[in-house]
Amino acid sequence: MNWLRAISLAALALLLIPIAVLLYYGLGPFRNPAGYSVAVFRSIELSLFSSAVAVVVDILLFTPLAYYLARGKDRVAESLVDIPISVPHPIIGVALLILDSPVSPTGKFLLGLHINFYNTILGLVIALVIMSAPIYIKSMQPYFESREASAEDFAMGLGAGRLRTLFSVVLPDSYDGLASASLISMSRALSEFGSISIIAYYVLQYPFYGVSPASVTIWELFSGNMAGGLDAAVTASAAMILVALPIALAGHFVRRRGRQP
Amino acid sequence: MIEASVKRKLGGFSLSADLNDGGFVCLAGRNGSGKTCFMKAIVGLLPLDDGFVRIGGADVTRLPVERRGMVMVTPGSSIPHLKVDTHLRWGARLRKIPLDERHVSDVKAELGIDYDGRVRTLSLGMRERVSLATALLSSPKAILVDEAFSNLHERDQFIGTYRRLAKESGIDVVFSTQDESEARLADHLYVIADGRTQKRL
Repeated sequence: MNWLRAISLAALALLLIPIAVLLYYGLGPFRNPAGYSVAVFRSIELSLFSSAVAVVVDILLFTPLAYYLARGKDRVAESLVDIPISVPHPIIGVALLILDSPVSPTGKFLLGLHINFYNTILGLVIALVIMSAPIYIKSMQPYFESREASAEDFAMGLGAGRLRTLFSVVLPDSYDGLASASLISMSRALSEFGSISIIAYYVLQYPFYGVSPASVTIWELFSGNMAGGLDAAVTASAAMILVALPIALAGHFVRRRGRQP
Repeated sequence: MIEASVKRKLGGFSLSADLNDGGFVCLAGRNGSGKTCFMKAIVGLLPLDDGFVRIGGADVTRLPVERRGMVMVTPGSSIPHLKVDTHLRWGARLRKIPLDERHVSDVKAELGIDYDGRVRTLSLGMRERVSLATALLSSPKAILVDEAFSNLHERDQFIGTYRRLAKESGIDVVFSTQDESEARLADHLYVIADGRTQKRL
């Protein structure tokens, strides 16, 4: 057991080196005020806001799917869930551009309704939903699977369909799972770069006019498009980690351990 | 009246069981004999490879669980976040069956439910009473009780009362047990071993 523990903790330490580097240099030797400027904080604000909205959409849209996968034994659907995050993420941004451009029928239709994805909060949120939903689903599904099915079987015997059983029996008793999955998928959404750098490099909408998502802002600082350079990029990264880390950690701690009826 | 003839393979285990009776039926068998599988197959929680299930003459083999009019009660059956009184009426409300308040309080008194609060806070035996009463009040065609009589004090008396209440409402009950001698509490006895049933009484 001690050897297992030693190997495991060493592997974990390897995994955490990049985070430690960013925190050390960002808060220490490389600390640059351009990394915690108003512009950086506005972009973190935009990321927090859009990720939170994306998670609300995840909950509303994908909780039934997670439950269906947990109880339905639909292997095909289960294997399709992961696909959006198994392709290079910028491709998803490109797909959204095509969907929304006048070259496609959907684009013409959306244009008629004055709905626009490109550089809008809507486009940003849709990309974040697509990139965080698989994480949400893959977090809720085992939670549902770990529940004893007998209360659900009982409810169905009493005349409740599967959907009714989900809303009346399962969800009122699943707040910890919902909170945990939401926080984990929110931290996934906060970290997204690829797809949103295509569809919403910056947002041209009130109240975030001209603001880029945090990951894009860090890239801007790093590439020199925004005054600051490497120092500022590392400082902004450290600030971003300080915001995102508690969300990710909370996601793991809010789940009740060893739940049994 | 339940008429069931079910076949189902589960890994190395094969279930090939029949039941043709109404009233209060005892299904006795050891651990692993197939009691739970058989009951699940009857209520529709376990799909069949072959066979049929009829209840009151109507074929329900292809109906989903919620439309069969049969409910299975196990020790884990209660819905934890509901209050006792809501729980008792939950099934009847789903099936849109009007409940007579006197009937509810009679059932509560007869089955020894003199407590309130959220079901989650109750002991296992108290929850079993609530689940069994809920099943009864939802007026199904049949109730399948899988070991849910086992955590109750004054058990024989409780089973006797439950049998009378079910008969008064015209509900068939099948209950499983490890102990064949409990057939004394039932109208009929089926013994199940290795997934095969045999009618003894």
